[in-house]
Amino acid sequence: MKNTITIACASLSLAVTTFETQADFTQPGFLFRLFEGGLASGGEACNFGSVTQVAANEWFFQGQHSNTIGTSMSWAYLVDPDPFITGTLSLTNETAFSKEYVVDFSLPISPAIAQSTVSGQMSGTLTDSNGSGSASLTSTNGGAIYTALADDMFVQSLMSNANQIVTSPFGTNSFSGGSFGQGLPPLAGPSINSTIGIRYSFTLSAGDSVSFSSIFVALPVPAPGVIAMGILAGFTARRGRRRSA
Amino acid sequence: MIGLKNKNNLVFILGVTGFISSATSAGFTSSGASFSVTSSVGSGTIQNISTQITPTSWSNNGGWTATNTSVTWVNNIQGWNPQTLSGFTNGNIVIRNNTSTAQDFSVMIAMNGMATGPLVASGSVGGQFVNGSASLGSLTSTGALWSAGIDNVTVNSQLNNALFFAQPFQVVSLGNFNFSNLEIANSITNQASIGFSLRLSAGGEASFTSVFAFQTVPGPASIALIGFLPILRSRRRR
Repeated sequence: MKNTITIACASLSLAVTTFETQADFTQPGFLFRLFEGGLASGGEACNFGSVTQVAANEWFFQGQHSNTIGTSMSWAYLVDPDPFITGTLSLTNETAFSKEYVVDFSLPISPAIAQSTVSGQMSGTLTDSNGSGSASLTSTNGGAIYTALADDMFVQSLMSNANQIVTSPFGTNSFSGGSFGQGLPPLAGPSINSTIGIRYSFTLSAGDSVSFSSIFVALPVPAPGVIAMGILAGFTARRGRRRSA
Repeated sequence: MIGLKNKNNLVFILGVTGFISSATSAGFTSSGASFSVTSSVGSGTIQNISTQITPTSWSNNGGWTATNTSVTWVNNIQGWNPQTLSGFTNGNIVIRNNTSTAQDFSVMIAMNGMATGPLVASGSVGGQFVNGSASLGSLTSTGALWSAGIDNVTVNSQLNNALFFAQPFQVVSLGNFNFSNLEIANSITNQASIGFSLRLSAGGEASFTSVFAFQTVPGPASIALIGFLPILRSRRRR
């Protein structure tokens, strides 16, 4: 009887944990912000496109945004407030001069994460879209092109001091931007209270295009109590089996 | 002497006229673009907004949506630029499969118009594959993953028999593929196009940036006339 209660408690504890992670099924307010030349534009991603719920806790945002100063961008992102962000940003500089860009994507999370592990990755493609014979993508002021954010604070970055080029008319250069936290042991992250995000910061040559595909995942580290209960349940069940034998 | 000078001027004018005539006859005459998507998931809805961004080029923003699948594009079309004597289509395209099974997609982006050959073409394609599922993901070409066509005939293809795998929640770069100086003897009578043909695993996303460009090759008569001019001028100087 005692064994049964212990196992029931452990199961309940795990069930509560599971329930908590899936508690919020409302559409998240997935935001984007585009900064260029001192100007900012953006807002709710769904207001510039569409959003579709594809699973109990996953939404797919896709949309496009063109401003009056010569930038067009599109995005397709799958997000989960539990949380992860994965998808592709494509951007074209339609002006006659190179420009610095900062593009932020921000996702509210639910529930908050007391202690996280994090992982991320990115790849991209640079294209000489205007056939000028050259295209360049550089990280602005030696920074990183990809930065993972939690509560708007730095978590990890990829492609620092990047300098990607294309040297043939209408040519393309695909590059791997690297990854973090995808091996073992898991990479410890911060506590996260409200949002996770991805920031792209780069300088793109005139008339050219770039696309970035990336992922940022934050997982909660199970609380010690839950782990202890799970281990205890295993021991207790084993002891019970021995007794019945 | 005066007669010879007039004669040379006449030949010069004829040469220039011949060159201009050859160039303009290769003009891509239409700004029209057409987009088509077919998928194993079934029929979908296409929406596209075309905006003129220069006197000779148009930006197309649009997409195709069906049940839990989508294709989005931002595509520029330079119908024909009389200064550079060229036309091209370039842009980004993202194909997303949010269903629970693998799906086939075939996408074609076409510039509608005509151009008189011979032409010389170049192009490129690069991209990424994102596996947004908890299972091993794959991106497979069904034939050639990317192709450039003229009047529905493939003139170049890339990523033939391609197969890419991605672990759960990982991104794979597809590499970059370029071609140039592709001679095309025929004229374009209907359209120039780029196409994508692929199978995408559940939760997969493929994104591509690609270009297909072509420009006129001056006709033999124009080249001959231009080559003939220095000889005539040298004769006049003598």
